Amino acid sequence: MTEEQNIPAIRVTDLTKVYGRLVAVDRISFAMQRGEAFGFLGPNGAGKSTVVKMLTGLTLPTAGTIHIFGQVVDHLETRKRVGYLPELPTFHRWLKAREFLFFHGQLYGLRGSLLRKRCAEVLSLVGLNGREHQKLGTFSKGMLQRIGLAQALLNHPDLLILDELVSGLDPVGVRDMRELLRQLKASGMSIFLNSHQLADVEALCDRVAIINQGQILKVGAPATLFSGPSVLEIRVSQVSPELLRRLRAIAIAIEPPATADADEQTCTQAPCTLLVEVQNEEQAADIASIIHTCGIRLYSLAVRRNSLEQLFLQTIDDAKSAQEAHV
Amino acid sequence: MRLLSITRFTFQEVLRRRLFLAVVLLSMLLLVAYALLLRAVVASYIPQMASEGFSVQLALLAGGMFISVPSIWLVYLLSGILAIFLTAGMVSSETEAGTFSIIVSKPLRRYEIIAGKWLGYVLILGCYLALLYLSFLGIIYWVTGYWPDQAWSALGALEMAVLVLLGLTTLGSALFPTLVNGAIMLILFISAPLTNFISTFVQIITTTSQTGTLAPPSETVQNLIAVTNLIIPTDALWHQAAAYLVPVDALNLLATQSFSASTFNIPLINPQDMTSALFIWIICYCLVLPTLAMWRFSRRDL
Repeated sequence: MTEEQNIPAIRVTDLTKVYGRLVAVDRISFAMQRGEAFGFLGPNGAGKSTVVKMLTGLTLPTAGTIHIFGQVVDHLETRKRVGYLPELPTFHRWLKAREFLFFHGQLYGLRGSLLRKRCAEVLSLVGLNGREHQKLGTFSKGMLQRIGLAQALLNHPDLLILDELVSGLDPVGVRDMRELLRQLKASGMSIFLNSHQLADVEALCDRVAIINQGQILKVGAPATLFSGPSVLEIRVSQVSPELLRRLRAIAIAIEPPATADADEQTCTQAPCTLLVEVQNEEQAADIASIIHTCGIRLYSLAVRRNSLEQLFLQTIDDAKSAQEAHV
Repeated sequence: MRLLSITRFTFQEVLRRRLFLAVVLLSMLLLVAYALLLRAVVASYIPQMASEGFSVQLALLAGGMFISVPSIWLVYLLSGILAIFLTAGMVSSETEAGTFSIIVSKPLRRYEIIAGKWLGYVLILGCYLALLYLSFLGIIYWVTGYWPDQAWSALGALEMAVLVLLGLTTLGSALFPTLVNGAIMLILFISAPLTNFISTFVQIITTTSQTGTLAPPSETVQNLIAVTNLIIPTDALWHQAAAYLVPVDALNLLATQSFSASTFNIPLINPQDMTSALFIWIICYCLVLPTLAMWRFSRRDL
């Protein structure tokens, strides 16, 4: 690996942005490696769009540094390697799709046959073939999102910065865009995704940073970032006192069936559904074994996953609680 | 050159705007109406002059010279208003709409965006002004045979007035929202001739001479005009253009034929030479204002 390849795609150090008395971004630091898909999650007003604006040179930092491929944001040669899709697809609506791409291609320094070739390629990539001569003013929001992505891909970027990719897209469009991004990532492109759509982040990103009130709360892989107890949903023919006793020995908590006896928490009317909170999912096998040993029929055993959204909200709530406790 | 891409884009944008097309169409209609009206006026005026014993050729030339000043004032007014309406949102409207986001993030310097747009508007407004100016003078020449010797100098002065306005709107657009900038520019553009109008009016009513020559303005009035010209020198440039349109030799010749210089001492359109110091100030003005706009835009958050 060459020295150049060791330099992160994005390195942010003590980045701060202050608007009057409001600290929008408060000394955040992170590094995004090359070829990585990095997600930026946070509620409205968390400061994530401000970070994106500073990464793209739209807003100047109050303090701290940003390096893209080892260079400052202003470095023009480095900017040629970056593609950017803003959150709101507010483009010049009087332009036709082809004119729009030609103009932005020229700003990237593309000319002549290369520019024409790239325009055709990116239109095809985002599924807008045949729309070259249509005015952007007549485009739907989803189509604007696609043409916006097309202009961001004109220069074959090494780093793609996306601000809310799938807003305005229909389910088929969302699927197509996610698939396209996976392909781009597989081709070695680094992708920075700022999103409210947790499903996008979960589906695409290698690592995620959670930001709230201008500070990064957590950074890590989605699978490990929100680690915690797993909940198993068990459907059995009956719940006996013996089963409950043996399950309690290995479970963190048990939620008895809704139809259970109020005192003993047992159930005799099949099917009985139990929720068992365990330390890790691997304990499912032990639980199946216990049910079998108790002579009870097991209908189903499934891990009830907390959605990323729930975990994300939990992280934000925890941060708020910690802050209130600190105050 | 990415700067030229922005210039080309600005051209494209303006040509597709309904405002510009509407102004061009209305200007063409105005020219046709003006030509017909001028012909009709001259047709009725010449026999009358001939019957009173004036030289027809000289009367035509005098008429052409007389009509050229208010006609070109109309050109100046139209170009000035177009410059304000077209460019008041040069930077602010794009910032407000968010369309700058994907341009500013591209590999180009921010000053190139402003410089490119400014250049685009210079060319568009410059061409509009030149075409309208030459069309009006062409019609006057066709009907009366009068063509000012210093027609190109007058055009230069008018083009500089547009450059001054463009510099102001460019800076205003980098500092204020579109509506605020437009309002400020209109007030400034109107206040300059208004100051001159008031001062000329005061001179006319206070003059005691019967020669037709106005008394020099008072010190207060002179200071007021000087300050106004420093803030918005468009009116000074217009009066300089008017001075180019009405040469002194022609005035002297007309004086021997019972015309007098006072014919041109009408507020708003009276010819007046500019000082060299003011000329240098205007050059600096045209260069410094867009530069300040570029500097401001380079430092603002989008």
